Amino acid sequence: MRDCLFVVFAVLSVFSLLGLVSGIFVEGGWNALASIELEAGAVIAEAEEKIVICYRAVSDADRVGANITGLLVVLNEAGDLLSRAKLAYKLGDFDYAVSLALQSQERLSSFVDEADVLRGAAMQARYWDFMVNVVGSIMGAVAVVCGGFVAWIVLKRRHSQAGSVGL
Amino acid sequence: MDRLKEKALSGWKCGVMSYREYNVFFMIVTGILALFVASPALSRLLVLPRTEFFTEFWILGSDHRAEDYPFNISRNRDYGVFLGIGNRLGYCAYYVVEVKFRNQTQPAPNSFNRTSSGLPSLFSITAFVADEGTWELPLTFSFDYRYNETLAQVGFYSMTLNDADLDMHNYTIAWDSDNSGFLGNLFFELWIYDAATSGFRYHERSVGLWFNMTTS
Repeated sequence: MRDCLFVVFAVLSVFSLLGLVSGIFVEGGWNALASIELEAGAVIAEAEEKIVICYRAVSDADRVGANITGLLVVLNEAGDLLSRAKLAYKLGDFDYAVSLALQSQERLSSFVDEADVLRGAAMQARYWDFMVNVVGSIMGAVAVVCGGFVAWIVLKRRHSQAGSVGL
Repeated sequence: MDRLKEKALSGWKCGVMSYREYNVFFMIVTGILALFVASPALSRLLVLPRTEFFTEFWILGSDHRAEDYPFNISRNRDYGVFLGIGNRLGYCAYYVVEVKFRNQTQPAPNSFNRTSSGLPSLFSITAFVADEGTWELPLTFSFDYRYNETLAQVGFYSMTLNDADLDMHNYTIAWDSDNSGFLGNLFFELWIYDAATSGFRYHERSVGLWFNMTTS
């Protein structure tokens, strides 16, 4: 009887131990998966934010007339990587999603600085374009009109003198 | 004497031109010269302001024409179309194209209410387009599906769009007796980033293609 009880106790102990171990394993597995999912979500959100920041920088550069063709190529590449990262996330491939989202961020690492440089150059070019083509040409036109008027007065005076001499 | 005086007051002769003619000629030449010098400024100032701001959104067949669109679809066979955006908004725009699929009973984007379809998107395509610029993407796609004879419906497994595998396990198409086919609609909705709300809003544009999923 005592042996029988011992065997039952031993079997129960082994089962409960197995249950405990498997519980820890499964819980740990779920925790790990959840943490990867969270990490992937965070990295994707970061990449999205980065793209918006870069888009704003490009918009600012575009507004002052900078040539943004090259920047848009990079931005479209980063956008494509982000789209694929989101798809991988949706399909549950979180490691791949993280990798793609990081690649997207890497593409844009020095993007804002480049956009700012282009913006600065475009602003300067715009200033000189305004000074030469708008201010310069208006001043030139005014100078031509004034010069013409002065020349006309001079010629008129000269010819009226010639006329009075002729009289 | 009087005649000579009159001549001197009214004008003097300069070659073949009278004083008045010379005066007019001088003014015209000065005016033309002034306009010529002012032309760079005038070209910037006398520009009609843009009044229409919009986005073009199109889909073209494999020959880059608005014809020969794929219709009869075979399982796992590649088909090609071109998806394009033309930006006439006056600023560089950030677009997202939502790729969606529906059968005949599911909601499509509503052009009267200007609302998007409530269906979930299979994939999002990001596009940044400069003002007055165009963006075009060649799309190659194929469908993996099976025909269920008992239910008389086509059940999808997946769709491949430019090497991206999209899950379509919840998608089915029932037999359409009116059109004698399993008709599915692949459509693209255009969304735009709104800087004021820091989010995307439906840009009231969508294009799509109807397909007949052949079972042979």
